[in-house]
Amino acid sequence: MSKGRIIDHPILGRLDEREEVHFTFDENKLIGYEGETIAAALLANGERVLRCHEETGKLRGIYCNIGHCMECRVNVGNQKSVRACLTVIQEGMEVKSGRKLPTPFKKGETQ
Amino acid sequence: MIDVIIVGAGPAGLSAANVCAKNGLKVKVVDEFMKAGGRLLGQLHEEPDGTWWNGIEEAKKLSEDAQELNVAVECGVSVHNIKQEKSYWKVYTTKGDFKTRALLLATGAAETSLPIPGWTLPGVMSIGAAQVMTNVHRVRVGERGVVIGINILSAAITRELQLAGIEVSSMYLPGKNIVTEDAAKPLSTMKSMLKVASLAPSKLIRLGSYFMKYESLQSLAVRFYPKNGMKVWGMPVHLRKAVLEIVGDKKVEGVKVAQVDVNGEPILSTEKFVPADFVCIAGGLYPLVELAAISGCPFQYIAELGGHVPVHNENMKTPIDGLYVAGNITGIESAKVAMKQGAVAGYSISMDLLKTDVNIEDQLQQAINHVKQTRNQATIQFHPDIHSGREKIHASFKNTLRTDI
Amino acid sequence: MRDHKTIICRCEEVSLEDLVRTAESYRCSSRELKLRTRAGMGQCGGRTCRALVDSITQKCTNDSTPHDIPLGYQAPIRPITFSIMGEKKDE
Repeated sequence: MSKGRIIDHPILGRLDEREEVHFTFDENKLIGYEGETIAAALLANGERVLRCHEETGKLRGIYCNIGHCMECRVNVGNQKSVRACLTVIQEGMEVKSGRKLPTPFKKGETQ
Repeated sequence: MIDVIIVGAGPAGLSAANVCAKNGLKVKVVDEFMKAGGRLLGQLHEEPDGTWWNGIEEAKKLSEDAQELNVAVECGVSVHNIKQEKSYWKVYTTKGDFKTRALLLATGAAETSLPIPGWTLPGVMSIGAAQVMTNVHRVRVGERGVVIGINILSAAITRELQLAGIEVSSMYLPGKNIVTEDAAKPLSTMKSMLKVASLAPSKLIRLGSYFMKYESLQSLAVRFYPKNGMKVWGMPVHLRKAVLEIVGDKKVEGVKVAQVDVNGEPILSTEKFVPADFVCIAGGLYPLVELAAISGCPFQYIAELGGHVPVHNENMKTPIDGLYVAGNITGIESAKVAMKQGAVAGYSISMDLLKTDVNIEDQLQQAINHVKQTRNQATIQFHPDIHSGREKIHASFKNTLRTDI
Repeated sequence: MRDHKTIICRCEEVSLEDLVRTAESYRCSSRELKLRTRAGMGQCGGRTCRALVDSITQKCTNDSTPHDIPLGYQAPIRPITFSIMGEKKDE
């Protein structure tokens, strides 16, 4: 389990061997480890972009990592707006990034 | 009915839980994070005597004690509302609603933001986020980053990133605007670091101790601050450079940095691009008080404590019946102080619920003394005038009671 | 100078320029500033920008920080589904 992870640490010691957990992010198959949050597993796999702003489409990733800012919200299976930083990955979990939504009632927009 | 519900399984919450359980009370602790320990989990620093303060180990000890004492610690549970009923509190969580005789809020602190252009880009995170990712999840936040915001918290966490083998190329001030201006001024930043330097272990903040030499010449020190920064743990700390913008297409690619004058105003001709694949924003901490606010508890704004704090006394009691507070919700201090405050809250609750026991009163008094001792010996002090902040909030408790009568 | 590019409320993407302009023209409270601009009304419930909105109000109106919390909190203070809110399970 090397990719993106801090295996050896001078004070905290070596990372324990953990069970692999298979999950998907926008249909890409990824591997994380038992007990990891969605946010940690995605970052370790090099995925920094978790969603885009529903209206402007600007990209977002992890910001506070402790459940306050809601920036890391993703869709998990049928559940919408799940905080990736507080949710532990499960075998077979289907994670989807948040997408831009239509704004049909916004003034001055043609679409 | 539960005797005590504690919101927050950090140093204060777990310490309180263990004291209550030792006194025979039925205790439940809930926390939003998937592991108990709260902010202890990320902490790692060298003490003045050369030993390491390892927050993960401290959290483990507290959790093991809690388990032995049959404290129900439930993680991954969010409290979304609390209501006071006639003789109890009702606590609404994402995993059911509960009734409790006493309610302790130990919700800790949240981070202050330093908004600058580009801070919404993926790859920009709060410094606390990087700390949790590095020390708790053991996942690399990037290869080479910069830290924006120079304060005791950012210095300590930057050191933790380095220990984990993550390169931080520089620490900078935030670009100055109406909301970042206090953190963007070289002189006030240096002064705040100076004030903590005398209390901090020399290895923790060499920057501060370096400036101690200039105590009488601080503004001169800022004026002649080296252009290449001063190295702390081999990393340049720039008191005369600020990040004006974070840039990148889909994620962070770097920062635009410029020299600033002694007031923090950028000298635009000096603007340079510094590559980075992550950026940490370090604006400091403020007490997280949402639940206290919806409980109807009165508040005071006390800058020395980090912002708005619920009114409480030395026993960690609020003026609201059955509602207690401990830890950083009462003001920003180190985890060691939070642990001692938690014990005070534990004895205080035990005394109120088990009215007959006289021993507890002595233990409560001792616990209050432990808080003071720990505060006086603290190696990390977030605010130099913490004592006056504490006096103000305790005085406000007395005034609240007076106006009630 | 860069205020139009500086986002204060990340959820609703309200810029520093908009907030300062609104605070200066209406010389209003934090609550009114929030209602006029939507800053603090997004998914995070203002947890990231509340202190910033308060400080803009204070600086634009030259007020000192009041002891009462300027922007009130309302339950639920965490995102919950309607099914959780509707549940009636006591223990």
